[in-house]
Amino acid sequence: MKKNDLKSMGKSFTKYILIIGALLILLDFTFHRHEYFSFAEIYGFPAFFGFVSFVFIVMLGKWLRKFLMRKEDYYDQ
Amino acid sequence: MISNFIPGLIMIITSFLLPTIPQYFRHPAMLLSVGLSALSLFNGYGTFLEWDILGLNLILYQSDSLTLPFAIIFHIAAILVIIFSWHSKNLMEHMATLAYAGSAIGALHAGDFFSLFIWWEATALTSVFIVFAGNTNAAKDAAMRYLIIQVSSGVLLLIGACLMLYQTGNHNLAVLDLKTNFGIFIFIAFGIKAAFPLLNGWLQDSYPESSVTGTVALSAFTTKLAIYALARTFPGTDSLIWIGAIMTAFPVFFAVIENDLRRVLSFSLNNQLGFMVVGIGIGTELSLNGTVAHAFVHIIYKALLFMSMGAVLYRAGTTKASELGGLYKYMPFTSIFCIIGAMSISAFPLFSGFVAKSLIMSSLGGMGMVLIYFILFFASAGVLEHSGIKIPYFAFFAHERKNKVKEAPINMLIAMGIAAFLCIAIGVFPKYLYQILPYAVEYQPYTLDHVISQLQLLVFAIIAFLFLVKFKLYPSEIRSTVLNSDWFYRKMLPGIGKPLFKKIGLLTDSLYKNLGLSFKQVLSKSYKFSNLSYIKVTTPSFAGTILISILFIMLVIVLV
Repeated sequence: MKKNDLKSMGKSFTKYILIIGALLILLDFTFHRHEYFSFAEIYGFPAFFGFVSFVFIVMLGKWLRKFLMRKEDYYDQ
Repeated sequence: MISNFIPGLIMIITSFLLPTIPQYFRHPAMLLSVGLSALSLFNGYGTFLEWDILGLNLILYQSDSLTLPFAIIFHIAAILVIIFSWHSKNLMEHMATLAYAGSAIGALHAGDFFSLFIWWEATALTSVFIVFAGNTNAAKDAAMRYLIIQVSSGVLLLIGACLMLYQTGNHNLAVLDLKTNFGIFIFIAFGIKAAFPLLNGWLQDSYPESSVTGTVALSAFTTKLAIYALARTFPGTDSLIWIGAIMTAFPVFFAVIENDLRRVLSFSLNNQLGFMVVGIGIGTELSLNGTVAHAFVHIIYKALLFMSMGAVLYRAGTTKASELGGLYKYMPFTSIFCIIGAMSISAFPLFSGFVAKSLIMSSLGGMGMVLIYFILFFASAGVLEHSGIKIPYFAFFAHERKNKVKEAPINMLIAMGIAAFLCIAIGVFPKYLYQILPYAVEYQPYTLDHVISQLQLLVFAIIAFLFLVKFKLYPSEIRSTVLNSDWFYRKMLPGIGKPLFKKIGLLTDSLYKNLGLSFKQVLSKSYKFSNLSYIKVTTPSFAGTILISILFIMLVIVLV
């Protein structure tokens, strides 16, 4: 097996995901997406919400490490 | 005759007979007992067995439209666990697992609070051996904590049942509210096992300490039994909507930074329970269907994810993200099954999570609950983060692996294969799942609006992940402990309790001295004295401290 297997897999995965993402946004312009709440019908709203939520979760989680993270043997001390 | 036999009881009886059965026939015997118990699924609805004892009428076996879907999935889960553990020769764990699954199935068919209490405690007493079978010191300690919490839940249930019988003269399972004191006791009893916020510590504490196969069994029954009990007794209780919403959102942040992937899955389990609790809180036919459907599919994909991590633990010796990566080359089937589980829990269209979660989201949308709707939508991105991406990514990809490992044993692959098949089959043909739900509701999950909306959310959340990894913003895996609500009784209470009891010891010491009595006359000789003026009081463990505090709180509540 080649050494850069994972890297090339990651690259092609990224490529396909970006294509799918672009298609999903384009699709949004072709029909009216009915939602329960009117503001969610804005073009690309779920995409925007998903992206921002994800970044928020990871960044807040990372920040919470300051308060919640202890050494591995914390409870054994 | 067999129609009057309590479902699950045959499994418990078989579990006690297991030591007499040769090793080779144990697993077939276990499967057979589950099969015999599953015959009860064809009995239809009604009350089949009652028992008058001490003036109490216990309903030991009843079945209705809410019982049936849970009974079906509990039997399926039992079968999956047995196949997954086929290679194992741990007799104690097999006995415990079979009896535990049997008790959970028995509990579903209880028709009154006292029968439910018996099964409730039976699940606690049997499952603690599964945690114990983790066979490490950490597992043994976690098992003791687990037992105390689980039994306490049972004690609260018993107090609630007694108060209810005393005040209303009735003890049958019925819809309760939080205006009565017994309602509150029972609510908290269920809430402990359903891992409500701040009552959830036991789950993330004990499940990841259990054995390769044990965690799979644990993940299926206790919490979903609590969901069933809540759905039966507290549908439409408004506070459950907020409790559930908090449950979906909070564990997400803990899962991001947790290093042990089985613990990540335990946080994820907690988050999934939140969706079900919200469904119960809304209390409409659609939302209760959503809760039941979600519990049903969740048991399968969560078992699948725990099985894949169990296989990783079995072969690679650890589930710590910091130590794993690159396993896709050596465990390709396990990787694929894990990804199917990950896509199901993330609710990708054509996977089982999608067709179940949609019911709950639709009922929220239909009721116009905008804030809760978006908390759950937000939490869906969180599910994708920890279960959809983190689990498969850190275990199977992330970076190249140096030492080779073998693919999982064939029995594990079969169990994972069945679960993965069910995840996709339910996702593609949801009508079969909808047919067994408690209420007849026409629902179409695959509308263009819904599919595009969900795909946009998920795909762009994945893009966010790639973006964060690319710019090195994604938190690296660090060997660590993440504080959770079990901190309160593992660190804080002993921290207060130990010095306090020492003080009390010194106080009584001086008191006795003033009275002119020597300690040896007062206390038994088994106590050790360092010297007469200072006593080394045997400080109670955290366990004792919790018990005392719980008893104290109960006393206060009852007096009030």
